[in-house]
Amino acid sequence: MRVSLFLTSICAAMVALMTPIAQAAEPYKNTTWESLVPKDWDPAKEFKSLNLGAMQDSDPRAMDALSRMKDTWGNAPTERSMDGARIKISGFAIPLEMKGDKVTEFLLVPYFGACIHTPPPPANQIVHVISKKPIDSMRTMDAVTVSGTMGLNRAESPWGTSGYRLAVDKVEPYKLPDGK
Amino acid sequence: MSPAPLLRLAARSAWARRLTLGVTLVAIMLSTALLLCVERVRTDARQSFTQSVSGVDLVVGARTGSVQLMLYAVFHAGAASNNIDWKSFEILATHPAVEWALPLSLGDSHRGFAVLGTTPEYFTHFSYGEHQTLAFRAGAPFANVFDTVIGSEAAAKLSYKIGDKITLSHGIGSANLLEHGDKPFQVVGILEPTGTPVDRTIHVSLEAITALHLDWFAGAPVKGVAIPQDLVSKFDLKPKEITAALVGLKRRSDVFRMQRFVNEFRGEPLLGVLPGVALDELWQTIGLVERTLFAVSVLVIIVGLAGLVATMLASLNERRRELAILRALGAGPADIFLMLAAEGLLVTTLGATLGAAMLTLISAIFAPWLLEHLGVLLVPRVLSIAELYLLGGVIITGMLASLVPGWRAWRMSLADGLTPRS
Repeated sequence: MRVSLFLTSICAAMVALMTPIAQAAEPYKNTTWESLVPKDWDPAKEFKSLNLGAMQDSDPRAMDALSRMKDTWGNAPTERSMDGARIKISGFAIPLEMKGDKVTEFLLVPYFGACIHTPPPPANQIVHVISKKPIDSMRTMDAVTVSGTMGLNRAESPWGTSGYRLAVDKVEPYKLPDGK
Repeated sequence: MSPAPLLRLAARSAWARRLTLGVTLVAIMLSTALLLCVERVRTDARQSFTQSVSGVDLVVGARTGSVQLMLYAVFHAGAASNNIDWKSFEILATHPAVEWALPLSLGDSHRGFAVLGTTPEYFTHFSYGEHQTLAFRAGAPFANVFDTVIGSEAAAKLSYKIGDKITLSHGIGSANLLEHGDKPFQVVGILEPTGTPVDRTIHVSLEAITALHLDWFAGAPVKGVAIPQDLVSKFDLKPKEITAALVGLKRRSDVFRMQRFVNEFRGEPLLGVLPGVALDELWQTIGLVERTLFAVSVLVIIVGLAGLVATMLASLNERRRELAILRALGAGPADIFLMLAAEGLLVTTLGATLGAAMLTLISAIFAPWLLEHLGVLLVPRVLSIAELYLLGGVIITGMLASLVPGWRAWRMSLADGLTPRS
């Protein structure tokens, strides 16, 4: 009798202990790179007044509009709702700070070779990841999945006033969705 | 037989053969010390390598290879292919995304130590390791043109103190053929050791670099022209060129755009590299040597353990009678097997532990000598986790290897031991 009571109380304690763990592990929301771009942000807004269809390719106004469009895209703002969000996102890592062969800070970008072969991704497509625990054997352009808490990093810059910063809890090698 | 008396028996038997086993023990001790030493130097080298710069977002220089730029701008090794115009640096430094920019002017040397021309902000913004800034052991940053701040290793090797007057020479290298002897510098600050190239650097102001070359023309001092030190301040000492620049951004995620800005700079061809990426590239090249060294030391361990197995196998012959008597007294084949395995384990564990102790002792004794003569900063410390794993690996391998003589002894029949053919 006493034994079973003891076991019951152990089970109850285990359930009580495990519930918060399960809850803590749950809320990393799988996030795509598109959701880092604000939904209400329309890159074509300031070009609505221009009737681009009526212009020829060589029209200086069209060329001017194109270059301005590039600038606008470059200065794409960040999504405010991401501030404090617990997310899980996959991308390629570029180490910034190292401790021996371990990485403590890196940038996460959505596509391979970003920033080297093409114009760099806009400010809202780069996440500055900071890890309290040094991460083992990470090489430039390793594909990783990170889970952590997103924050906005506000500072004046020609490319917008804020960027993303992620306080990372877990970094794992990227796996294809079908588990291969 | 129960294990405890059996182990006592094994220990006594091993003591009886202490000479041969002792030599094997020394072999295992030395090979373990070598393995741990290689591992330690490997991690230390990597550590001091990646610790050389921190908190810097971009290293900017004239267009060259990214590794070469890192080598001369951060490690002061090799020479720059070209300089950057001061105006380009000013544009870079005032860019809205830039929080701070440090100009670096290299190329002069003092008794084999690199002379770095920079601004006093260098001492507040430059950081190494994990965002550690430079600390002064004595003195303060330079304030006047002919002031200099020296790294800890340079100070120790040349035994300079605050207030000493030193002479700088032109060009890299320790042969002071052409000295700027007419313009001596005064040591105003000595830095704390960092384990980075900063320790081997003499820091002066950018104006000092210009002043040094005032009466120089086309790479040589102009004959008959000598500008005395007190008149130097009458000249415009504003730098015209610098060698490289370190840039810190307000927001680190802007680094690719800033890099692109630098690489597409209109005024002159510039190159901006992310130190983390360039160090990674550089290390991957050096990594081959490091892995080869490690493989060699693993082989040495295998040789040491093979020696152990050979000694134990050879001892089986001389222990024929001993083992046969034990068998006759009631020890089963499994007991004999256990005795031999225990002997192997004892020797490897003792050898590995002594090896680790030897390394700790040696590194504690020789650390000052190594720092002074080879510039290697060995931090005396207890074993790291990775080293404990290696040690465990050695012991487990040794135990597995000693199963071979154990198995042989198991297979030896009682009659075989009691009726020697010889």
